[in-house]
Amino acid sequence: MRRSKKNIFLIASFILLCGGGYFNKEYNRKPADISNIEPDVSANATALVELYENDEAKANQQYLGKTIQATGVIAEINNLQDTLVNVLIGESSSMHKVSCLLDIRYLALIRNYRVGQQIIIRGICTGYLMDVEMNRCVIIEKK
Amino acid sequence: MRIVFAIVLSTMASVTGLAQTRYFTKSGRITFYSRSPLENIEAVNNKVVSIWDVNSGQIEFSVLMKGFEFEKALMQEHFNENYVESDKYPKAIFKGIIESSNLLGLAVDRSAAVKVNGNLTMHGVTRPVTATAVITVKNKLITAAASFSIVLADYKISIPSLVADKVNKKITINVNIPDYQLVVKK
Repeated sequence: MRRSKKNIFLIASFILLCGGGYFNKEYNRKPADISNIEPDVSANATALVELYENDEAKANQQYLGKTIQATGVIAEINNLQDTLVNVLIGESSSMHKVSCLLDIRYLALIRNYRVGQQIIIRGICTGYLMDVEMNRCVIIEKK
Repeated sequence: MRIVFAIVLSTMASVTGLAQTRYFTKSGRITFYSRSPLENIEAVNNKVVSIWDVNSGQIEFSVLMKGFEFEKALMQEHFNENYVESDKYPKAIFKGIIESSNLLGLAVDRSAAVKVNGNLTMHGVTRPVTATAVITVKNKLITAAASFSIVLADYKISIPSLVADKVNKKITINVNIPDYQLVVKK
């Protein structure tokens, strides 16, 4: 009898410990590194902008919150708020582009790129304002 | 002929005037804070779009809800899925008026506190908002900063009782525009 009580206590403690550990890990989980996530969609930057220009609500249904890998020509590379870098990709003649806020780990790598160069960027689509917006963007380089 | 010339001149003047008074940015920052005894929550959005017509004082801010970044992934997921329902309401928009905007005088270096009145639409609810903003001109760079508070219940944002102690029902919102650019009509 005493032994079975002891076993129950040990099992309950083990479950509590595992549950607590899982809760702590989940609670303190950092946003995922996008470079390790397979994209939900791969798209040409110009085509992506056209989809949003034509029907924002429909495009949101397809892309909002999704991991998108966009390919296009760099139109602008801008410093934002002193410490951030934003890359605009798409047709330079178009008013609207795909606007990619880079993950800070990629600030050194973007220095190798110039306006007019082709680039592949993966990020989370956050919607459409003046441009199609992507956050936490990483540069994908072909190996 | 004189009448035609006068019409052309006045049209040109109004177009030029409009072009000279509109300022714009795509790189504004909005942060919000929730302070509670158990936990402080902070989120930042660095892609705020704002348009300001100095002559009329009309000002507008647009921000994507999914663009708010949190330190912890779980907070960000709860914010988007349970609180602001960003799939259903992807944007928050403020439309307002800066009082005496046309008297600011942006040609010289200065800093002025102005009153802003308007309506904030978020989570499908529109509510009036009043704030004091500080507009600064330094070396032709125009910056703006404002801070105000909102009550989550006003926007029909409900916090589950399980985490009610961790989220303040009143949220402080800070708006920071680091570089208003003059809109030049092409």
